[in-house]
Amino acid sequence: MSGLTSGLTSGLMSRWRPALRIARRDALRHRGRSILVLVMIALPVLAVSAADVVYLTSDVNSVESLDRRLGAADALVTAQPGAGKVLQDFDPNSGSTSGAGGSDQEATSLAQVRATLGREVPATEWVETQLSVDTDRGVIDIGANELDVSSPLADGLFKLTSGRWPADDAEVTINAALAVKGFALGDDITIHDGKTLTVVGIAESTTSRNWPRAVARPGALGADTQGTHQWLIGGGAVSWSQVQALNAVGALVLSRAVIENPPPDSERPAEIRSWSSGVDESVIAVVVLIVVMALLEVVLLAGPAFAVGTRRQARTLALMAASGGTPRQARRVILAGGLVLGGTAAVLGVVLGIAVGWALLPVVQHFSDSWLGPFEVGPLHLLAVAAFGLLSAFLAAVVPAWLASRQDVVAVLAGRRGDRKPGLRSPMLGLVLVGLGVAASAAGAGQLGGGSTLIAASAIVSVLGMILLVPVVVTTLARLSRRLPLVARYAVRDAARHRTRTVPAVAAVAATVAGVVALGIGNASDAAESEATYQPQLAMGMASVTSYAEEGDDPIDWSAYADAIHRQDPGARVSEVVSYDAPSAGSFVDVELRRPDRPEREMFMQSYSGTFGNLLVGPDMLGLASPVRDGDLDAARRTIQQGGIVVFTDARVDGDRVVVGGTRYSDDGSDDDALEPLQLPAYFLQVRGYGPAMAVVADGVLDPLGLTSSTTGLLLDAHGLSKADEDRIQEELRGLDSNAYLFVERGYQADDATLILLGILFGLGAVLMLGGTLTATFLALSDAKPDLATLSAVGAAPRTRRGVAAAYALVVGAVGALLGAAVGFIPGIAVTYPLTSTTYYASGLDAAGDPLPSHFVDIPWLMIVGLVVVLPLVTSLIVGLTARSRLPLVARLD
Amino acid sequence: MSEATVLHLDQVSRIHGEGATEVHALRSVGFRARAGELVAVMGPSGSGKSTLLTLAGGLDSPTSGAVYVEGTDLSGLGNAGRARMRRTSIGYVFQDFNLIPALTAAENVALPRELDGERSAAARRLARAALAEVGIEDLADRFPDEMSGGQQQRVAIARAIVGDRRLILADEPTGALDTTTGEEILKLLRSRCDAGAAGVLVTHEARHAAWADRVVFLRDGVVVDETGADEVETLVESGHPA
Repeated sequence: MSGLTSGLTSGLMSRWRPALRIARRDALRHRGRSILVLVMIALPVLAVSAADVVYLTSDVNSVESLDRRLGAADALVTAQPGAGKVLQDFDPNSGSTSGAGGSDQEATSLAQVRATLGREVPATEWVETQLSVDTDRGVIDIGANELDVSSPLADGLFKLTSGRWPADDAEVTINAALAVKGFALGDDITIHDGKTLTVVGIAESTTSRNWPRAVARPGALGADTQGTHQWLIGGGAVSWSQVQALNAVGALVLSRAVIENPPPDSERPAEIRSWSSGVDESVIAVVVLIVVMALLEVVLLAGPAFAVGTRRQARTLALMAASGGTPRQARRVILAGGLVLGGTAAVLGVVLGIAVGWALLPVVQHFSDSWLGPFEVGPLHLLAVAAFGLLSAFLAAVVPAWLASRQDVVAVLAGRRGDRKPGLRSPMLGLVLVGLGVAASAAGAGQLGGGSTLIAASAIVSVLGMILLVPVVVTTLARLSRRLPLVARYAVRDAARHRTRTVPAVAAVAATVAGVVALGIGNASDAAESEATYQPQLAMGMASVTSYAEEGDDPIDWSAYADAIHRQDPGARVSEVVSYDAPSAGSFVDVELRRPDRPEREMFMQSYSGTFGNLLVGPDMLGLASPVRDGDLDAARRTIQQGGIVVFTDARVDGDRVVVGGTRYSDDGSDDDALEPLQLPAYFLQVRGYGPAMAVVADGVLDPLGLTSSTTGLLLDAHGLSKADEDRIQEELRGLDSNAYLFVERGYQADDATLILLGILFGLGAVLMLGGTLTATFLALSDAKPDLATLSAVGAAPRTRRGVAAAYALVVGAVGALLGAAVGFIPGIAVTYPLTSTTYYASGLDAAGDPLPSHFVDIPWLMIVGLVVVLPLVTSLIVGLTARSRLPLVARLD
Repeated sequence: MSEATVLHLDQVSRIHGEGATEVHALRSVGFRARAGELVAVMGPSGSGKSTLLTLAGGLDSPTSGAVYVEGTDLSGLGNAGRARMRRTSIGYVFQDFNLIPALTAAENVALPRELDGERSAAARRLARAALAEVGIEDLADRFPDEMSGGQQQRVAIARAIVGDRRLILADEPTGALDTTTGEEILKLLRSRCDAGAAGVLVTHEARHAAWADRVVFLRDGVVVDETGADEVETLVESGHPA
C-alpha cells in the first residue's frame, strides 16, 4: 500500500520536477515580475494572517477568561430575588433564564447554596453594581465593586498598579479610567448622595479597562444590589449536576470545572440550545462569499503577470512543442510557476503576517476596552490562509497555462505577437451568467429573510459573467478607436491585442468597483430609509430638559436647572414649559380630544407621552413643532390668543371646534373621575411626524376642567450647541438630579460608522484599482518595448512613453470601473428591497405624513462618479507621472 | 557635386563601455550623403555599420565628432530636438520592419506626422499618399500581421518618406525578405533617392550594393575603402575640410 503510494508520488514528482525546475529558474530570472506576483498574493495572505493573530489574541474565550472572571475561586454563584428555578448554558453569560418565582421571593442564601452543594465551602461575597460619584463638574456613573481582596478566592480579579488596597471602610481603589476624571491617590471621592472615601490605590479590573471602576471593602460603598448576591466559592470543583441543582434553587453558576471540561452538548437545557442554533448558516454563507470574492480579486490581480510570463516563455514552449513536447507538458510549466510563486508568497505572507500581528497588539490594546488574552496563533487558520494564497496563484496561472498549451507554434516561432482572435463561446456564457445573476438578484429582492445572502451570491455570478464579457468590450472598444488620439488609440488596440494580460486587470478593477457600488447603494439606501422614517421629537435645533421627582422628593426646582445651563452657556435661551396634565401627587389625568360633529365615542386623540405632557400652555410652545406649512403658525397663534386650542396633527383636518375631556385616575385606583367636557374653538396645525404634544392652549383656558398647570420641563434653544457643549450641560444637570435628561433635536444624523464604512470602501476600491491598473500598465509597458523603440525611431518624444502608460492605465481603469459600476447596480438595487423594506412600519407613513414607498433606493452618485471618472483619471495621472520617460533603442535581430 | 549634403558625419568616434570592456565602434569616421544619392555601407559583423546608422538618426550620440543633418548639428539639439528631426527629416527602415502591430498600415505611416502634432485626418491623408507612392494604397486599413513581409517593408518605407523627409536610413531592409521582394524594395529606395532624397543603405550583400551610387566599406570602425563616381577626398575626410 505504502509502496503504491510512494510509487504514485514519485511518478507525480517525476512528471512535475522538470516543470518546477523551469518555473523556479524563470521566477529567479524575471525578478521584477516574480516580485509583483509575490506582493499581489503575499499581501492579502499577510493581512489576513495578521488579522487572525490579532483576533485570536484579543478574543478571550471562556477558558482563557476564567481567571479574570473567577479569580482563584472554583465557581461564581449569582442569586437574584424572585428567581425560582432557572436554566443556564454551561457559561451563564452565553444564555440563561431568569426564574419564574414571585417578585417577593428572596434570593437564594449562601446557606442554601452550601446545603445544595452538600459541603461547607469557603465563600466570599462580591458585590458588583453601578453607582454615581460626584466630579468637579457634575456626576458620572461608575462600576462599583465591594470585595474582600485579601481573600485568596479573589486572587486575579483586580490588579493593583499603584498605592495599596483599602484597609478599612473609608478607603477605596479606583482604576485609571476613573482617575482621569480628576482623582489621584490621597484624594477624596464622594458617592453621589452617599459617603466620602479616600483613594488609596489604583487597581485595574483584569476584564475591562475603559469603564471607570472603584473597589472597596464589603459594605464600604453602600452599594444597593436590590437583593442580588454574588459569591466566589472555593473548596473544589463544582460539577454540572451541582450547577443544575443550584439552578433549581434559583442560582446561576459559573463553574471552572464545567467551562474547562464541558459536558456533552445534549446536557444543555433545550430552551437554551434553541437560542444559539440557526445563526451559523448565514454566517457561513457570508464568510464563503467573502472568501470567494477575495480569491477572485487576488487571482485577477496576479493573472496579468502570469499572462505576460507565459508569453515570454512562448518561444521556449513553442520550441518544446517543435521538439515533441505535449500540450500538457507546456501547461505544466506555467502551472508550476503558479505553484512556486504561490507557495513562496503563502509562506512569506503567513510568517510576516504573524510578525505584523504581534507588532500590532499594543496598538490594538490601546483602542480596546478589554484586556487582550495571551498571544495566540491558530495553526489551522493560518494553514487555510496559506492554502488560499497557493490556490490563488495556481488559479491565476490556469488560464495562461491553458492558452500556452493551445498556442500556435508556427505563429510563435515566426515571432508574431498578440493573442488569438476571441471566440464567441465564452462571451455567450458570460451573458448567460449575467442573466442568471440578474434573475437571482431579483429573486433575492423578492424575499425578506435570506434575500441578502442570495443577492450577494448572485453578485459573484454576475461578476464572473462580466469577466467573460470583458474581452468583447475591449475588442469592441479597439474597433471604435479610429478617431482617438495616437497614444489612446495605441493603448486601446494594444490592450485588445493582449487580452490575457488586459482582461484580468480590467476584471480586477471591475470586480472591486462592482462590490463598492453594490455596498454603496445598499448603504446609502439604508441611510435614506433611516432619514425618511426619522421621527423628530422637537423642532429642529431645540433641546428639552426633563426630569421626574421620585417619591418623597421635593418638587423639581426648574430655575436651578436653568441656572445650571447658564453656568455652562451664559447666553442660552431657556424657557419653562408649562403643561396642564403634569402628574401630581396621587393622581394623573388621561386627556381625550373629540370633534363635536362626530359621535361621542369617536375619539380624535388620546393622551400619549409627549416630552413635556399633552396639553401645553402658551403660544411659544407652537415653536416646538415643525409645521408642514409655515403660514399656519400665525393662524395658530391667533387661535391661542383668542382663547382657543391648537391641536397638532400629522394629517390634514378640517374643522374649527374640539371637545376636551378625559378622566382623572388616582394612583391607588380607588377614585376615577370623569372630567366635565369643554368645547373650544380649535385650529388643527398639521405638523411633521408626531407632534411634541397633543395641543397648546393659553394659560387659564382649561381651568374649568379642574386641571391645574405646572412646569414640566425646560426648553432650550440649542442652535449652535455642539456635542461637547451638550455633554458638559448634561454632566452639570446630572449633578443636580440624576434623573435630569437633556435631549437635543439635531434631526437625522448619519451614522458615523456608515460614513467611515463608505470611506473605507472607497479607499479599498481606490487601492485595488491602483494595484490592478499599475500591474497591467507596467506589464504592458514591458511588453510594448519593441513598439516603444519603433516610436522612438520614427521620432516620438521621450514623454510619449508616459503618454502611452497613462493612456493604458486609463483604458484599464475606466473600462473596469464602468463595467464594474454597471454590474454593481444589479445586486446594489436588489439588496435595497430586503434591506429597506417598509413592511415593518405599521403606519406606512413617513415623518411628513406621506405614504412610505415600498423600499428606498438612494444611489450615491458622488461616490460612483468618483469611482468611474475621477479615480481612473487620477490613477492614469499617477501612472503617467511615475512612468519612466526614456524610450528604448531598437535592437536589431541579426 | 552640385547637390547639397544632407548627412555629414564629421570625425565621428563612438566608444561603447570603458576601461577593459571599451569597444571602439567607430573611429574618426567622416561620411557624407547628398540629396539624390544612395550610399551603401558594407562591412563584416561588428564593423560599425549599425552604429553609423544610429548616430546618423540621432538615436545615439557620438563620443567625439559631430553629426549634421541638413546642416543641423544633432548633438546640439537634445533628445527632444533629435526626436523632432526624426519626425521631420530622417526616416528609418529596419530589417524586421518594426511596424506597430496595434496600428493599421495607414496609421503606422501617419505616425511621424501625428507625433509631430499634425491632426490625424491630415496625417492620414499624407500617409495614403506615401502608401500610394510605394504602391500599396489598397492595404491602408490592414494591420501588419495581415500583410506579407514585402508589404510590411513597403509600409515601413512609406513611413520613412512620409512628410517629404530627405534622409532615409535603411538597416538591412531586405534581410527578412525573399530575393524578388528584396529587389523590389531596393528599387523603391532607389527611386526615392532619384526623386531627391539622400539614402544610406546598410547591407552585407554585394548584389544590393549595385543599386547604390557609392559603396563605403567599414572594418573595425574605420572606413577602409570606397567606390563610386566621386573623388576619394570628398568621401573620406582625414581631417581636411571638404
